[in-house]
Amino acid sequence: MAKGMFVDTSICTGCKACQVACKEWNSLPGDPAHFRRVPDRPYRVAFNFTGDSYDNTVKLSATDWRHVRFIEQFNESRSEARWLFSSDSCKHCNDAGCLNACPVKAIVRTDMGNVFVQQDVCIGCKYCIPACPYGVISFSEKTGTVHKCTLCNDRIHNGLGTACAKACPTGSISFGEVADLRKKADARLARLKGLGFEKANIYGYNEAGGLNVFYLFMDRPSVYGQPEAPVVPQQRLMSSTAVTVASAVVVAAAAMISFRERGEKKKEEVKL
Amino acid sequence: MIMGSNMAECHPVAFRWPLKAKTDHGAVLMHVDPRFTRTSALCDIHVPIRAGTDILFLGAIINHVITSRRWNTDPFFKEYVVNYTNAATLVNPDFKDTEDLNGIYSGLSSDGKAYANESWSYQRGPKPTPAVTEAKTFTDLLLERVPGRPKTDPTLKNPHTVFQIIRKHYHRYTPEMVEKVCGCPKKKFLKVAETLLNNSGRDKTSNITYAVGWTQHTVGVQIIRTAAMLQALLGNIGRPGGGVLALRGHATIQGSTDIATLYQSLPGYLNMPDARKNTETFKDYILTEAVPLSTSYWGNFPKFAVSYFKAQYGDAATKENDYGYDYHPKITADHSHLPMFVHMSEGQIKGFFVMGQNPGVGGQNARFQRKALAKLDWMVVRDFYETETSAFWKNSPEIRSGELKSADIKTEVFFLPAAAVAEMEGTFTNTQRLIQQHEKSTDPPGDARSDLWFTYHLGKRLRKLYASSTKDHDWAIKNLYWNYEPEPSEVADYRIKDEPSAYKVLKEINGYTWEDKKPLPTFANLKEDGSTVSGAWIYTGVISEEGVNNARRRRGDNWISPNWGFAWPANRHIMYNRASADLAGKPWSKKKKLVYWDPKAGTWVAPSGDGIDFLPTKAPGSRGKDNGIGFDWLSGNDPFIMRPDGKSWLFAPFGIVDGPMPAHYEPYESPVANLVYRQQANPVAKTWFIEGNPYHKVADPRYPIVISTYRVTEHHLSGTMSRWLPWLAELMPELFCEISPELAAEKGIKNADYMTIETARGEIQARALVTRRMQPFTINGKTVHEVGLPWHWGWQARAEGDVVNNLSVLVADPNVTIHEGKVFTCNVRAGKRGGAA
Amino acid sequence: MSFETQAPHWEWYYIAIYFFIGGVSAGAYFIGSLLELLGSDKHRQISRTAYYLAFPLICVTPVLLIADLGRPERFWHLFFYTKEGIPYMNFTSPLSVGTWALLVFGGMSLLSFLNNLIIDGRLKSPALEGLFRHVPHKVYAVIGSFFGFFVAGYTGVLLNITARPLWASTDPLIGSLFIASAASTGAAAIALVMAWQKISSRDAIKEVVVFDRVAMVFELALIAAMIVVAGRYSAPLSKGLYGLIFWGGTVVIGILLPLGLYWYGRRPGAAGVSLTALAAVLVLFGGAMLRIAIVQAGQLQ
Ligand SMILES: Nc1nc2c(c(=O)[nH]1)N[C@H]1C(S)=C(S)[C@@H](COP(=O)(O)OP(=O)(O)OC[C@H]3O[C@@H](n4cnc5c(=O)[nH]c(N)nc54)[C@H](O)[C@@H]3O)O[C@H]1N2
Ligand SMILES: Nc1nc2c(c(=O)[nH]1)N[C@H]1C(S)=C(S)[C@@H](COP(=O)(O)OP(=O)(O)OC[C@H]3O[C@@H](n4cnc5c(=O)[nH]c(N)nc54)[C@H](O)[C@@H]3O)O[C@H]1N2
Ligand code: SF4
Ligand code: SF4
Ligand code: SF4
Ligand code: SF4
Ligand code: SF4
Ligand SMILES: [Mo]
Repeated sequence: MAKGMFVDTSICTGCKACQVACKEWNSLPGDPAHFRRVPDRPYRVAFNFTGDSYDNTVKLSATDWRHVRFIEQFNESRSEARWLFSSDSCKHCNDAGCLNACPVKAIVRTDMGNVFVQQDVCIGCKYCIPACPYGVISFSEKTGTVHKCTLCNDRIHNGLGTACAKACPTGSISFGEVADLRKKADARLARLKGLGFEKANIYGYNEAGGLNVFYLFMDRPSVYGQPEAPVVPQQRLMSSTAVTVASAVVVAAAAMISFRERGEKKKEEVKL
Repeated sequence: MIMGSNMAECHPVAFRWPLKAKTDHGAVLMHVDPRFTRTSALCDIHVPIRAGTDILFLGAIINHVITSRRWNTDPFFKEYVVNYTNAATLVNPDFKDTEDLNGIYSGLSSDGKAYANESWSYQRGPKPTPAVTEAKTFTDLLLERVPGRPKTDPTLKNPHTVFQIIRKHYHRYTPEMVEKVCGCPKKKFLKVAETLLNNSGRDKTSNITYAVGWTQHTVGVQIIRTAAMLQALLGNIGRPGGGVLALRGHATIQGSTDIATLYQSLPGYLNMPDARKNTETFKDYILTEAVPLSTSYWGNFPKFAVSYFKAQYGDAATKENDYGYDYHPKITADHSHLPMFVHMSEGQIKGFFVMGQNPGVGGQNARFQRKALAKLDWMVVRDFYETETSAFWKNSPEIRSGELKSADIKTEVFFLPAAAVAEMEGTFTNTQRLIQQHEKSTDPPGDARSDLWFTYHLGKRLRKLYASSTKDHDWAIKNLYWNYEPEPSEVADYRIKDEPSAYKVLKEINGYTWEDKKPLPTFANLKEDGSTVSGAWIYTGVISEEGVNNARRRRGDNWISPNWGFAWPANRHIMYNRASADLAGKPWSKKKKLVYWDPKAGTWVAPSGDGIDFLPTKAPGSRGKDNGIGFDWLSGNDPFIMRPDGKSWLFAPFGIVDGPMPAHYEPYESPVANLVYRQQANPVAKTWFIEGNPYHKVADPRYPIVISTYRVTEHHLSGTMSRWLPWLAELMPELFCEISPELAAEKGIKNADYMTIETARGEIQARALVTRRMQPFTINGKTVHEVGLPWHWGWQARAEGDVVNNLSVLVADPNVTIHEGKVFTCNVRAGKRGGAA
Repeated sequence: MSFETQAPHWEWYYIAIYFFIGGVSAGAYFIGSLLELLGSDKHRQISRTAYYLAFPLICVTPVLLIADLGRPERFWHLFFYTKEGIPYMNFTSPLSVGTWALLVFGGMSLLSFLNNLIIDGRLKSPALEGLFRHVPHKVYAVIGSFFGFFVAGYTGVLLNITARPLWASTDPLIGSLFIASAASTGAAAIALVMAWQKISSRDAIKEVVVFDRVAMVFELALIAAMIVVAGRYSAPLSKGLYGLIFWGGTVVIGILLPLGLYWYGRRPGAAGVSLTALAAVLVLFGGAMLRIAIVQAGQLQ
């Protein structure tokens, strides 16, 4: 009975209401890195213009738990003209790299299936950051801990949907039972395929053990900045450990051989 | 079809519905816009056209439609057009079209500044014998003056029929001409035209949606008229899914048009008494305003007007003193925004209240407007933050450049903190005429007060100051009916105890009987004898009985939702909905059933719950009374009840000052000559040849690039409401200019670098956003580039940028004086500007 | 593999140096223990040096580790889950298991350190002596060596078990590489100390050097393998500052040069001890550069 979100990028208008709603509900400030002092102004002024389509916040961060990507696909003659939008957040993975990596159990999964960082437990080791295959979780200098989307933990445990889904004007983000959302996604995908959108695909059914927050993309996942074949890093833990142990054995053996041989040679010399 | 609007970005919540139509019902969405925007991204078809060429594009669709096989063979179109539009009406033989006069209509004055519209009028039958012999009431005055019925030719063959005039007028508006003038490939144009045609008819309707991409032109009103004509010809008006939808701007801009913040209009679209017309006495006013419209529902004009004046002056308004009409202000000129600032710059205006506006950023030729503020004695600004307007005297570009010195500015500026929407109670009226209540959630902080509070208490204090005056011209303020004291229960939960009662204001707008103060359920109850009051007749019914505020209702039904808020007039969601049935009163089709005649009951019925925009008992086919007014005159087949002939106007015999039909004119500033007519631009466009407002000549080599200004989702208008919020500031931090890679390469401009945009009015810098979403147009074989700037930035707040309106110019549509902010000319170069913007 | 993952922004002077020092300590300890187990008297000098080195070095590491935490005052959460008040270890987290290993290794190296002090007569503690009588020191040495390897290797596994392109694509080789480097740098550290203190015969040093040579060759092989498996993701290691550090600092200065020097020093009449010391310094430098290059290059966006 896991809760999750279905993000239908085919009806996303790139309005960023979700991004703002997330900040508003979760009391997240404007990213300090986006503002700077200017002469004669008692307040900081935004300067983070990127020139990358309409995306000026660029990535998920400790203060941006949601981020809308803008992908302009135009050929020179503009006979192919497409502007794709996709709103991204934590995927609340069934097998969560961040959770697996956390040495202190700061990251937990709640009864609703969402992956949640306990701010009072996290020690700020930052190991979960590279452990997330999607670059979601981020460190805050201000709190010394990591932050990411909580799937609106407080809201969903009080009978509300997520703030971003609530704010989304087009219904591009929907919140609910993952099973129900999958049905909805299947129907939408079938419809789009029927209309000839061959490249449409669902991202997150099977990827890396399944994602509770999954997407309908109109093009390959990499177009949207998502890994094509994400791997939960810890799936490699056994093999990695085994090889390392083997190396340790090799080194130990080499050491034994090099010291023993020598030692014996010396002994022989002494005997002589 | 969305054209002249960037609906997804500027009306993101409303855009949910077209999107739903697309995903759930297979609707085809089309976007016609010079740029590829977030709206285009979601539409099935995007068609780029050069800014300012919409009339040509739409006119060519009209031509395509009326010459198409489908339109000429499907009986639906004939039945609708012949009966519900004025296509069959005969026009004065003196009328001369633009085809005859190379770009102008008959009636243009010798100085070329205004049209006289006599030659545009209908041919009429003989005047009927009046129904009254002696006029005792205002209504009688109208009955005395009923004109003869317009002459018609239902075969549409007569060369003087509106239809033949239109056919001739648009016959040169061809796909080839579209390609040449709009710069849009013929194929794409045809795709749009065919899609509209194929999705209109008995079983299907198409909608056209626009916003200020159409209005902000010297031909703005005419662009919208072209769309309305097209929709009428396609049978798409008065029917579900049809219509021409204006997406309004600010949250309740529709409400402020209804309850008239516009200078020329009284609440409920009664024209303002106007010293330039014959409106000297109340009788003159009624004769001038109501007679030309009396055979429509406007035949009730006297009732609406008397009820309005009664609402203004209460007991002091009597039959004897013409309900106080003589004391009511009259306009003497065009007092709209642009001329007001021209007058201000000439020192004719002493004091200025700025409530809910920031002309220092949003005003055209903003430098001119800011400099005009320096000519005031005083200015009151009520806002949440210190706006660019209120700070013009200390840190504007003019101050920074040394053009103005703070010490020399005599304007005394009063800044008063305003309450925000959640801090007050009231209603919004949205795009679809839907009145919705919003509640107060908390008191505003500190000294901040609502505009209602400010206005009410200002009125109270003024009335006190004038209480002992015996001067005649103080009569209006002394006798103003000003009675909105809150009931204790209304303010019980709040710190501010003297907040006026929004309910009482709405009740007065709704109307009630003067004697017992009982709310009126419908405007049919209004009287011309002073026994009823109504602030704005169109809103009657929103308070249907004491304590029942229908704007509060929130029951939806996925269809018309008659129990969600209240749609004026009389909860009618689709206006002129008698047109949703055929001549016999039967629904055009099962799928498009809305309002139809029930022969057994002898009434019109609307099972959807929508209000019926017709006289319920007027049978289809029934004839009107030739000497009647209002519904008496209209026949059972006249759905357009606000038009004096009951028809949708393909041809406007009056009411439009720049021609009875739209013709393609180039924008006032354009890099190309008009390829359709010798007349370059709208001959009667409003212009101000004054210092500080220089215009660019046609094809001025110094300004070869088309520039358009618009919005982005992330900011709101002049930015006071968005640029202070870090959350929004970081989403769109700085002013940017959208430019095609082709033009950028030509000018050596690199993405994200600074570039300068220049006009004869000013020079600004912006970050370049080089994108293929902008494209060069080939116009008559020549490349024309367009750049685009969102105009939200200013020098106050957390996201800063130059004021785009430093570039724009005072030039306006002659009907409504809206500026031409959507298209003018400029030049661009790489790098930052020189001095202060 | 994702190009959109985020870097942890670990500081080189904390994390990479921690990895390096932990490796030296573990490597040294392992060599010391091995020789103790082999039980040759001649090697006594080597194990002594190793034990004296291992413990103080490992004491530095928690300081570095904790200094890089966002909430250093909560470091104890690594062992104790506050919400339930129980000791905690996450088996899927190399970092968690590694910190516990560090704790055990720290304990063992302390015991070895103390044992040496007692043997050398620098410390008199009847209690400890009793302890070592009951459980022979070789037991600690074995346990310590095991966890020493753990400490040396987990830092590499920790990097491999992430989604960062460089680290993930080099899986499963960084653990092995770090172990080889730990052995090599551990040996070099011992050699350096011994040479510096002139407390030993050239022979003893030589044996350490021989082992170091083997370890370095193994390391070279692993580096080659790593570059091959990483393919295009090895870019951050082959270009720019970290390319320089890696190829120049680690491979040339830290491996090839000392290999040459050792080789040269083998010849009779060569400058002997001082040459060995120089080579050892280079090896240590190379080991540090290896950690810095891999940890930092993996964090490049
Ligand atoms: N987020 C947000 N929403 C808003 C506002 C805001 O500031 N921010 N403002 C509100 C207000 S007050 C208003 S009036 C509305 C305005 O709503 P819109 O009219 O939808 O907004 P604009 O962005 O001004 O212009 C719309 C489009 O017109 C196009 N355009 C320019 N010239 C032409 C032309 O000649 N022909 C055609 N066909 N298109 C042209 C532009 O490229 C642009 O995409 O938005 C309202 N909603
Ligand atoms: N070049 C160019 N110029 C344009 C346009 C364009 O497309 N291009 N668009 C035009 C259009 S459509 C419009 S509508 C205008 C808008 O131009 P303005 O109306 O001048 O701009 P706004 O930012 O809407 O100003 C509204 C002000 O009212 C304040 N405010 C909000 N709520 C309240 C309230 O309850 N009480 C009070 N007292 N103040 C309040 C806000 O903080 C803000 O400062 O700009 C026009 N200018
Ligand atoms: S997306 Fe990343 S942060 Fe979110 S649960 Fe999965 S691994 Fe953790
Ligand atoms: S930074 Fe916090 S949440 Fe992330 S792994 Fe470390 S302790 Fe766990
Ligand atoms: S679910 Fe909540 S926390 Fe997560 S992105 Fe949406 S609003 Fe933010
Ligand atoms: S709110 Fe919805 S439509 Fe808007 S950007 Fe977010 S997901 Fe897209
Ligand atoms: S700002 Fe308000 S009116 Fe405009 S789209 Fe959003 S909710 Fe609707
Ligand atoms: Mo507007």
